Amino acid sequence: MSEAAAQYKKKDGKIIVSSDGLTVSWKANSDDLRVDVEIAAITNLQQTPATSAKASIKIVVQHPDQTENHTFTFTSAAARDDQQTITGVLRKCIEDAKTRSAAAAAIPAAATPTPTPVLDNVGASGAMTMAHTLVGAPKEKEDPFDDAKLLRDTALQQSLLNSNVALRERFDLALRDKPDTITLAQFSNQFWATRVPLLRSHAVQKSQGAGTYNVLSVVKPVLEQGVQTLNMSKEQIQLIFAQHPLVKRVYNENVPPMSERDFWSRFFHSRLVKKLKGERINDNIDPTDPKLDKYLDFNEAADAAPQLLVPSVPLFLDVEGNEQNHSQRLGNRPDHTMRLGSHEKVPILRTLNQMSEKMMAQVPPSDGADRHGPAGMDEETYKQVQLHDLERTADDNRVVLNIQDQSQFFSAGQGVHTSSSAATYAKRTPIQVLSVMQQQFQHISASQAQTGGINLQLAMGTEEESSSDEEESQANKKSKVGSRSSRRGATSQIVNTIKQRQRLGEEFLSSTPEQSRQLALQMGISGPVYDSLFITHNTTVEFLHYFWAVFYSGDAERANEVAKLMETLGKSLDRIKAVADTAEAERAAQIQATVKSNEEYTQRTGRKRRFDANNIKGGKNVVNHLMQPLTRAIGKAKHEYETALQAQMRQSKTETLNPV
Amino acid sequence: MNAIDASEHHERVDESVPPSLLAIVLDTNPHAWAHLSSTLPLATALANILVFINAHLASGNANSVAVIASHSNKSCFLYPTPAPSSPRPQPNATNGDVDMNGTTETTSYSVQDNPNKYRPFANVETAILNNFAKLMEGTKESHLEATPTTLIGGALSLALSFIAKATLLHSPSTSNSDEAMLAIADPEAIHTSYVSLASRILIVSVSGDLANQYIPVMNSIFAAQRKRIPIDILKLAGDTVLLQQASDATGGVYMKPERPEGLLQYLMMAFLPDPTARKSLVMPSAGGVDFRAACFCHRKVVDIGYVCSVCLSIFCSHDLPDNLCLTCGSYLSLRAAQSNPPALIPRKKKKKKRAGADSATPGGSTPAGSNTPMHA
Repeated sequence: MSEAAAQYKKKDGKIIVSSDGLTVSWKANSDDLRVDVEIAAITNLQQTPATSAKASIKIVVQHPDQTENHTFTFTSAAARDDQQTITGVLRKCIEDAKTRSAAAAAIPAAATPTPTPVLDNVGASGAMTMAHTLVGAPKEKEDPFDDAKLLRDTALQQSLLNSNVALRERFDLALRDKPDTITLAQFSNQFWATRVPLLRSHAVQKSQGAGTYNVLSVVKPVLEQGVQTLNMSKEQIQLIFAQHPLVKRVYNENVPPMSERDFWSRFFHSRLVKKLKGERINDNIDPTDPKLDKYLDFNEAADAAPQLLVPSVPLFLDVEGNEQNHSQRLGNRPDHTMRLGSHEKVPILRTLNQMSEKMMAQVPPSDGADRHGPAGMDEETYKQVQLHDLERTADDNRVVLNIQDQSQFFSAGQGVHTSSSAATYAKRTPIQVLSVMQQQFQHISASQAQTGGINLQLAMGTEEESSSDEEESQANKKSKVGSRSSRRGATSQIVNTIKQRQRLGEEFLSSTPEQSRQLALQMGISGPVYDSLFITHNTTVEFLHYFWAVFYSGDAERANEVAKLMETLGKSLDRIKAVADTAEAERAAQIQATVKSNEEYTQRTGRKRRFDANNIKGGKNVVNHLMQPLTRAIGKAKHEYETALQAQMRQSKTETLNPV
Repeated sequence: MNAIDASEHHERVDESVPPSLLAIVLDTNPHAWAHLSSTLPLATALANILVFINAHLASGNANSVAVIASHSNKSCFLYPTPAPSSPRPQPNATNGDVDMNGTTETTSYSVQDNPNKYRPFANVETAILNNFAKLMEGTKESHLEATPTTLIGGALSLALSFIAKATLLHSPSTSNSDEAMLAIADPEAIHTSYVSLASRILIVSVSGDLANQYIPVMNSIFAAQRKRIPIDILKLAGDTVLLQQASDATGGVYMKPERPEGLLQYLMMAFLPDPTARKSLVMPSAGGVDFRAACFCHRKVVDIGYVCSVCLSIFCSHDLPDNLCLTCGSYLSLRAAQSNPPALIPRKKKKKKRAGADSATPGGSTPAGSNTPMHA
């Protein structure tokens, strides 16, 4: 049964969901006005969204003859929470009622089918929104890293932005350049929608914390200028108390007479601390302490016992465990390092094990085993334990793949005329083709017959002796196989690709921003230009993401948004152009400077230096080359947008001309 | 152990460069070569390739070569000459006695003693020319009419199987127990660890339309990838889609010559280094690779396709007959995979004002909300 303060028709009162889940009622505080609603009759439950000022729910009830609705506004300080709890409870009850009635309807056919209650989120204006949440859908166990939840968590997003500088930059820049029509909420939603995994990993990271540790071994008195000082934090003291209930007891019994400071410094020099740490007590050296030493014989096992967790392995599976569990050999007694009370032997092992046990007891089990289930029997173990041999063989649930002959797809309908080169091939009939081939081959084989093997040098057609003069006259006619010019062309192509490949390899190796900056410098792009290129690229990619998401949303409401984004992308092009212009200006300045220094050199020495403007790298071309993929992506977006827009314009025109 | 029995085991590791096997797949599609005849006649190209083969053979004593013709109607070996299926006393074609194969035929030539020619070169040359002549003779008009392209898939499989066989012959694998026994019997013996054969495939391609054989070629590519056999591509003509992927996936060299006339230069500069030499070289390679796949239904090369979740067949459209996969027949509804048609014209203003409910739920989570479109 749950209840909350709520207003109904401007009167203060209380809304109560009965404990049997059958009715929800409201009772006024002042007079005995009362509203009772049968939960089974509820057809619709609506609540104001989390953003609205008022927290209220609306219950729509279907009676056989009429429909009535009640609106309750929560009035307490924690109105939002009340709203959540009440809706949650109601939702559950409605669900139960539905299943009950469904079961009831199954037996007598006379029972009237209950309409499916539908839960809606209602905007502040009261208009219906599109989002429907079916009550009937089984509510999954809440996933803390659910996509939607992560997207709503602005605090998490902020903290991620703060921890990740690159992301922050990207976010801020994209935010700055975004078209005004897009609201901040829309923008950030879009931004995070593509980065949910980042959010998730950050959330996981944040939820991790350091566990407890063995405090006694950490806290050590430090000798400073001949004075023993002890630095302990409040948390450490608490941890000591938690890990060693005995210390807590000693502390409680002794601190009023002793000062706190005195207690701890004595404690850390006492035999007691040695015992707790598991160190051997040397009777000759270790100082005695009349107050603390009396606790030395105190049996810690007494208060440690409840913490012990016996791992429960189902014994009939654990063959080795069964063998060991022999009554005459004392059964499955823990190892002597795990047993309490054996003080003499290896105290350090015993203490450490005990310590670990205590610490592990505080860690929530990661497997989330149900503590109320049969010992060691979670669903998985149960399945394991089942004697599968005795079961009937399960149905074969493999999917049989019937691969049809693929040649029907591929070779069918493949003729000379469907080929991509059909036009070029169609110039010759197959007979001509054959004769051309035979004829060519005659060349080579004829020479073979005579001289015993072909003269490869002749057959290849390479002319080593052809001078460059001939070369030029040849170039006018037709480039011959193996001619010098063609060989030169081939060489330059190969060398170019080798260079390209080498650069690619370097880029591949250098993935850090600093190194790619160096590479840019090598290409003649200065630092500032590179930075602005980097930023432009980042934001443009962001907008491209956004563009495609909106473009394919198919939502006419967002058409304006698409248009605006298109404009923004256009602006991105302008930005790239601006950067290119800057780079070009830089290059021009550099050329000028070189020319000037050359002139000075000529004046000074009377000699001329060779100068080729092409040797100055950088400028517009390099920038454009670097940004080429991006420009292409924008071009593609633009093209798609324009074609789709034109098609729809035409369509809408025809629609307005011939109204249906 | 060694210290106790005092006998040292010598393991001789062969430091020399492993021999390399070059398998050349020569696309002999008559259509394409006839088309190229003005710039690069087939005979000349063949001569260039022969020189290249000689260079390869000359660069290592144990180097070997295989040449496979990928023709319109069949793929066959040009070298080594395949042994006829009937048992013969001497089926070995590599010893140069090729003349025995075709003494009755007028077009075949015997290896003559030419003092100016290194005998192994002459062997290879004669075998290739003879077999090529036979291949051309066997080509009928009907074969050419049937297809505009070449059987590159079959040729690749032949090359791979030849390489596999050669690798086995080169280093007979002895089981470990055998070696252990030998070691016990003769501890002083020097054990030689075999240097494995470094193989590569060079495809000299002139045909387009290879998407027809998407599946067999892809399978061959994966096999080569597994066996670490680089596939080099020399693309003299035709579209590039599939073969570029082959070279990229296997780490081979891809070349599309701007000047096919300089064929020999391309062969020598880009393709002569064997896999061992390549480790210390920067090999030429074009930057962008076209990774697109061909759809199974219309053999179109697709940018965005749909993939059957059961058999991984690729389709170019979401309209499948009866929502069944064409290849495996399992139910495959692609309706959900298509993205909404963009709506770019704002709807007429409704009278009822929307209370900013839109701003609370903007955008789908992922663009296009599609589950299996594949960006190839």
